[in-house]
Amino acid sequence: METGEKINRGLKALEEKVLDRNLCTACGACLSLCPYLRSWKGRVVKLDDCNLEEGRCFAYCPRTEVDLDEIYQTVFGKNYEEIDVGPARKIMMARAKNPIWRKKAQTGGVVSSLVDFALREKIIRAGILTPRDGDLLPYGQIIRGRKGILSAAGSSYVSGPTLEALNRGAWKGQERIGIVGLPCQVLALARMKTSKLEKKTPIDQVNLVIGLFCTWALDYKPFMAFLQDRVDGRSIKKLNITPPPERIFEVLAGNKLYRISVDGIRPFIRPSCRVCLDMTAELSDLSIGTVEGKEGWNTVIVRTAMGENLLKRAKRAGVIETRPLSKNNLNHLKEASLLKKRRVLDALNEKGGIEKAYFTLSPQLIKRILSESGESLT
Amino acid sequence: MSSIGQNAPGKTVLLMGNEAIARGALEAGVKVCAAYPGNPSSEIIGTLAKVAGKMGLHVEWSVNEKVALEVVAAASFAGLRGLCAMKQNGLNVASDFLLNLNLTGCRGGLVLVVADDPAGVSSSNEEDSRIYAKLGDLPLLEPAHFQEAKEMAKSAFEISEQLGLPVLIRSVTRVSHARGNVCLNELPQSSPKPKFDNSLRFHSLPAVMNHKLLHEKLNRAEGMAEKSPFNFYRGPEKPELMVITCGSGWMYSLEAMTNMNAQDRVGILKLGTTWPLPEDFVLKHLKKADRILFIEEVDPFLENNVKEIYAQSCFILGLKSFFGKASKHVPDVGDLNPEIVTHAIQNLIQIPYEPRPADYARRAREAAAELLPARALGFCAGCPHRATYWAVKIALALDGRDGFVLGDIGCYSLGMGPSGFGQMKTLHAMGSGTGLACGFGQLHQFGLEQPVVAVCGDSTFYHAAMPALVNAYYNGSNFLLLLLDNSATAMTGFQPHPGTGETATGSEAPVIDLKAICEVFGAHVEVVDPFDVMATVKTILRLLQDVKGVKVLILKRECALVSAKHQRRLYRVEVDRERCLGETCGCNRLCTRIFKCPGLMWDKATGKARIDEAICTGCGVCSEICPASAIRKEKD
Repeated sequence: METGEKINRGLKALEEKVLDRNLCTACGACLSLCPYLRSWKGRVVKLDDCNLEEGRCFAYCPRTEVDLDEIYQTVFGKNYEEIDVGPARKIMMARAKNPIWRKKAQTGGVVSSLVDFALREKIIRAGILTPRDGDLLPYGQIIRGRKGILSAAGSSYVSGPTLEALNRGAWKGQERIGIVGLPCQVLALARMKTSKLEKKTPIDQVNLVIGLFCTWALDYKPFMAFLQDRVDGRSIKKLNITPPPERIFEVLAGNKLYRISVDGIRPFIRPSCRVCLDMTAELSDLSIGTVEGKEGWNTVIVRTAMGENLLKRAKRAGVIETRPLSKNNLNHLKEASLLKKRRVLDALNEKGGIEKAYFTLSPQLIKRILSESGESLT
Repeated sequence: MSSIGQNAPGKTVLLMGNEAIARGALEAGVKVCAAYPGNPSSEIIGTLAKVAGKMGLHVEWSVNEKVALEVVAAASFAGLRGLCAMKQNGLNVASDFLLNLNLTGCRGGLVLVVADDPAGVSSSNEEDSRIYAKLGDLPLLEPAHFQEAKEMAKSAFEISEQLGLPVLIRSVTRVSHARGNVCLNELPQSSPKPKFDNSLRFHSLPAVMNHKLLHEKLNRAEGMAEKSPFNFYRGPEKPELMVITCGSGWMYSLEAMTNMNAQDRVGILKLGTTWPLPEDFVLKHLKKADRILFIEEVDPFLENNVKEIYAQSCFILGLKSFFGKASKHVPDVGDLNPEIVTHAIQNLIQIPYEPRPADYARRAREAAAELLPARALGFCAGCPHRATYWAVKIALALDGRDGFVLGDIGCYSLGMGPSGFGQMKTLHAMGSGTGLACGFGQLHQFGLEQPVVAVCGDSTFYHAAMPALVNAYYNGSNFLLLLLDNSATAMTGFQPHPGTGETATGSEAPVIDLKAICEVFGAHVEVVDPFDVMATVKTILRLLQDVKGVKVLILKRECALVSAKHQRRLYRVEVDRERCLGETCGCNRLCTRIFKCPGLMWDKATGKARIDEAICTGCGVCSEICPASAIRKEKD
């Protein structure tokens, strides 16, 4: 029992600690739960005050106080201790065999083909993906077939309130749900699962979480204003970043290809991404990203039995093909992931100390991240 | 039904102060009556409109007070008697014409009744309109009770014709809106024929010469005031204290005096012709007492003017002490009551009397709390303005650029409070929201990043916002005007206006189409039903973000009180108690804590919301905002 004034863990605190500090990731975990929060063009907006002392908005948010050990214990049965790419059973390269997925996908089409496979095999009955509307604004969408999957393939490098669709959906009894999410979103899902508040959400029906590698996402409104200025009023069709070392941001607008330096768009990275420890979406069954230097292939990190099983069946069914990930690529992946954690700690240190961060890490773990991450690449 | 039209000399009837004024005008043979509605003046013309057909009058709700006064002046120029009525703010609008009309003078009796609203109970200010009489050198009468209201109105026409000047009557809420016995006199039977005499000139120029003539008329007015039956003294020949009062102050003073049983010690000089003051009459009575207390509503008008008279003759009258607003014996803001008068008198002479028990206020509050449901000042159940402000609140929050709403005069002025979710940030005069928006909409060139939104009701739009909208387009401003078209002048009692298709007297009129006007004025115009909350939010957002220049969004939905008179409610609304989330996470009483329609009630015992069937109008908006879909609406 606490004494004295109760510490607010509701909307009031969410506003003070996340929204006002511009730390919202726009993951959508707090949306469609109550009438006081709504998203608009990549921003979560508070409409009215809520005076509850505790709320799900605060409890599910990936940027409110979180005990990482507690979360990792619940999901993986172990503490937050595998500091490079998180708990991993296997790491490999993979790609979809059917070219329709590869053609539309940002890289190897593994995410789309696995969701399609899981739906066809009835491992899940619905998927929650993140398509973009005509203005490239991402939103959460419940999909039940191939057409929906194809519409969500690709990326606009902008985060969207995917999880809002989970909260909004009119789910039937025991319908199994698969979700593809960014690192902040898979953290929010894990928080939903571990929250002790009365849930009133279908989180227990989520049995497949596919995480996407992510180093940052862009803030929709200023980013789009920036793009609009550069494409001479043409309608933007596709965005892509070319592989390193070139790293050019390509914008296909009308039928013209505009090439912008990636540095030019860095100012639009959401501040919340700069405090994110997680590049590889650790709290998922499978994490999927690109492979450096291997166009058309995905890196796949298998994290849970569910993930392992799905991958095995998909491979057996000829949906995907896999290859071992080279040692070089693996090392590079781990370095990059650790570097993200390192940068967060550096940034927090500059801004008044790690103890003020939303997550708690033991001093030993902090020491390990700092020592194992090596020199920071600038 | 008012009995002002009956021709029953000698009969005593119960009349509201405003009805008594209207009756006085009828007894004077008034032919043309015009006004713009505004509390507490609205019933004067409203009552006359009801008898217009029978009595052969022209009665109109004019588009604004200036036009109303011009309409009535035309009748006067043609030799007919005319009555114009307005509230104190309205006189500001009419003043431009009035302060030239004084110079041109008039022919047929022209009476301008201004009903002031001390304490601003239903006004944006509590200005004292009497200053206009002094400013414009115009005769002013102040009725103190209902019979006098009727007599003064009648007499004002005579004075006006004798002087060839408009005469002002200043009433206040407590005279206009209270009721009392009035003994009727005869109604005239003859009807003059109007004719504009082409040999006459109604030019304010040459100004100096006409100003001089005006002063001569005013001197004559003073002479008439010296003999006026509306001025009298009641009390002992040598009172310890003399109260000088006018208007509602007379009744308050009388009541205080009677309660204190002070009639033998305190005298009351009651003045009805308060501009110009009857100097000799005042001096004669000033001699009676050395201590004088002024009791009057709002400004120290009488107080200062009597002191001026005293100053001219103080060498004869000797030293006197004056008490009132200047000496802080009487509050100089807010309205008066007998208790205030009692305290003022008690401060000056020793009289043991307690107007009411010390704990009266507390007991009254307790009794009220027990008997009345707790309701804040706000919109009626089912009012479309609540839905509008709800949508505005959401749209501005989502827009995220810190947009703000400039307010205007009407029911929707309540948008400044919780009922409008505190959205309205300015409140001034009729049409000022749009005018201010014209200015704010020019500041984007200097770096203003916030969207500018103005609200305006339909009646207010015709009254004063139209020139501002013309200005906006002409000068290239950039804002969104929300035109709240509830098809009524709701605040003042549902008077028709140019958009309603009906005149003051109930006959059919052409509809002046708001949308067409705004389009002609160059605005980008759209129309939406505020009861469709999400469509309204999206439209506002789109207009703010995608359309540059002057935008008008007409929020069309009839006033809930007007609808209730002629149509069944739209929906039967009920709360599904199983679904209602009450105070728990996911809702936390959105409907009764934030939305706060009086038709929704919080049932503490069950922790659920419920509908107050007695006042729910069935608009169904709450079913749209309920996050748990627990509020259900079914076609009634």
